[in-house]
Amino acid sequence: MTKTIELRIYGMTCDDCVAHVSKGLNEADGVTDVFVSLKDGIAIVKADNEIKPEDLTNLNVFKGKYKAQTRSVKND
Amino acid sequence: MYLRGSTKPRLEVLKMTEYDLAIIGWGAAGFAAAIKGSELTSNQMKIALIGYGPLGGTCVNVGCVPSKFLIEASKNYREASHPSYAGIKASASIDFPEFMESLNNFVSTEREGKYTNVISNFENIDLYEGLAKFIDKNTVSVNGKEIKAFNFLISTGSRTFIPEIRGLTNYYTSDNIWNIQKLPEKIAVLGSGEVALEMAYAFSNFGSEVHIFNRSNRILKGFDDDINSELIEALRSNGINFHLGVNFHEIKEENRKKTIVTSTETFTEFDAILVATGRISNVEGLNLKAAGISNDNGIIVDDTLKTTNPNIYAAGDCVRQPLKLETLAGKEGVIAVENMLGGGRTVNMNEIPWVVFTEPNVASVGYTEYELKKKNIEYSVRTVDLKNVVKANILKSANGLAKIIADRDKKIIGVHVVGPNAAEFIIEGVYLIKNKLTYNDLIDSVHVFPTVGESIKISGQAFIRDISKMSCCMD
Repeated sequence: MTKTIELRIYGMTCDDCVAHVSKGLNEADGVTDVFVSLKDGIAIVKADNEIKPEDLTNLNVFKGKYKAQTRSVKND
Repeated sequence: MYLRGSTKPRLEVLKMTEYDLAIIGWGAAGFAAAIKGSELTSNQMKIALIGYGPLGGTCVNVGCVPSKFLIEASKNYREASHPSYAGIKASASIDFPEFMESLNNFVSTEREGKYTNVISNFENIDLYEGLAKFIDKNTVSVNGKEIKAFNFLISTGSRTFIPEIRGLTNYYTSDNIWNIQKLPEKIAVLGSGEVALEMAYAFSNFGSEVHIFNRSNRILKGFDDDINSELIEALRSNGINFHLGVNFHEIKEENRKKTIVTSTETFTEFDAILVATGRISNVEGLNLKAAGISNDNGIIVDDTLKTTNPNIYAAGDCVRQPLKLETLAGKEGVIAVENMLGGGRTVNMNEIPWVVFTEPNVASVGYTEYELKKKNIEYSVRTVDLKNVVKANILKSANGLAKIIADRDKKIIGVHVVGPNAAEFIIEGVYLIKNKLTYNDLIDSVHVFPTVGESIKISGQAFIRDISKMSCCMD
C-alpha cells in the first residue's frame, strides 16, 4: 500500500531549487515517487503507507531556505 | 519536474485554497506574522491580511505610541514648571490643542513609517479592510467577499472593558482620548491598571486635578504589595487622588460637569471621565464556532499558539493569557508562523518584561513573591531602597525600590524595579532570567556608575552582604 502526500513548498526560485528539493525527497526512506512544480510551489510524493507527512516536512532539505507544509494525504 | 515517470497530478488543493495564510487583525501580531511568513518563504507565502481601522492596530494608533508621547511631554512640562534643583527658576505654559495636534501628527508619522510603508514592500501580502467572519474552517467572509486559506492566524487584539455603572455615558477611553482638545481641569479615571495609572500621571503632570477610582482596593493586579505601595506613594506625591475599594452607585452629568456617586461619597465637578478598567479580547463576530475554535475570555491556545483547530493559530491580545502587550503580541505572531511551518517554539511568560511608564517607572520580569507563594516554590528575596542608589539621588527621584528574587540554587527568577528609567534597564532582568544566571553572576558583572540600573546589582549584592556597610562601586 502507498499513499500520496501533497506538500506546499516555499523558497524555490529556479530549476536548481527544484532539483535540490526533489533529491531531498527522493532520498527519504519509503519515498517511491516525487513530482515537484516550481510554478505552483508544490511537491507530490508517493510513499509507503507507513510514512507520515511530518517525516517529509522534517527532512533536512526543509530546515534551511526551503520550507514544506502538508496540504493533503490520500491513500492510493 | 517529473521523476521516475510519474504523470502530472491534479492540483486540487491549490485550486480551492486562495491563500496560504489569512491573518485576521493588522496590529502588532498580525504584521509580525505576515512579515515573518514572508521572510521564511522567500515571499512565496501568499498572505491575506485582514483588518479594520488604521493599520498597526492599538499600539501605534491609540496605545503605547501616543500614550508615551503624552507622558514624556507631560514630564517635560512638569519639570519645566517645577525644576528639581536648587537655584533654578522657571515657568511654563501649554497650548493644549497645539500639543495634541503634534501628538496626532507623530502617530501618523510612526504609523506610516512602521506599518504603511513597510507592508508596501511585500507583493505577496494582500490587504482586505473589514470585519472577518468564519464561514467554515477554511473560509472567512469579509464585506461579503469569501477568502479561503490553508492556514489562519487570529490576531484581532483587545479593547477597553466598559463596566456597567448607571449613568456612565459620554466618557473617554484610551481609544478616543487622543481627540481631546481641552485640558480637563478635573478628570476622573476609572480603573487602576497600567493604562489608568499612566493616563492619570500624564494629566496630573499637565496640571489637571486627577482622581483615580477603582472597585478593587489595590492597583496593578498581580504585583507585590511593596511595589504597589511605592507607586501609590509616588503618584500621591505627584498630586493624584486615589479612591480604591469604592462601590459605584451612579454617574450624573449637569451643565457638562460630571458627578460620581459611590456608596459612601459624592465627587463633583469632573470635566471628563476616562474609563480604563481593563481590556477584553476582540473575538465577537468572528464566528469562531464555525472554525472549531474554543474561546473563554480569549481564544484558547496550546503552548505553540495553536487553537483547538490545528490549522488555526492565535496571537496577541485576543488570546486568553494574563499579559496584553505589544511586544508579546509581536513575538507571538512570529512564533505562530514559525510553528505553522513545522517549528515547535513556545513563549516563556516569565521572560516577558512589562512596564508602567509613570514616574517612577514600574518595570518587572519573572515571578512575583505572590506567585511563588501561591505555587509553593521556595525562594529568597532582597529589596533595596533607591536611596541607596547614587544616580537616583542625583535625579532627585529616589522614591522606589529594586527587588530581586532567586531560587534555592541562587538563580534569579524575578526582577522588579520601581524607579526612574527602569523601563530602559529591565532588559538586564530578562537576560538574567533567560540565561538562568545567579546573583553571583550578576554581582560579577561590572555596572556603569552612576546609573539607576546599578540598583539591580546592589539588590544582587544584598544576597551576600549588608549593603549599608558597602562602599561605592564595590564588587
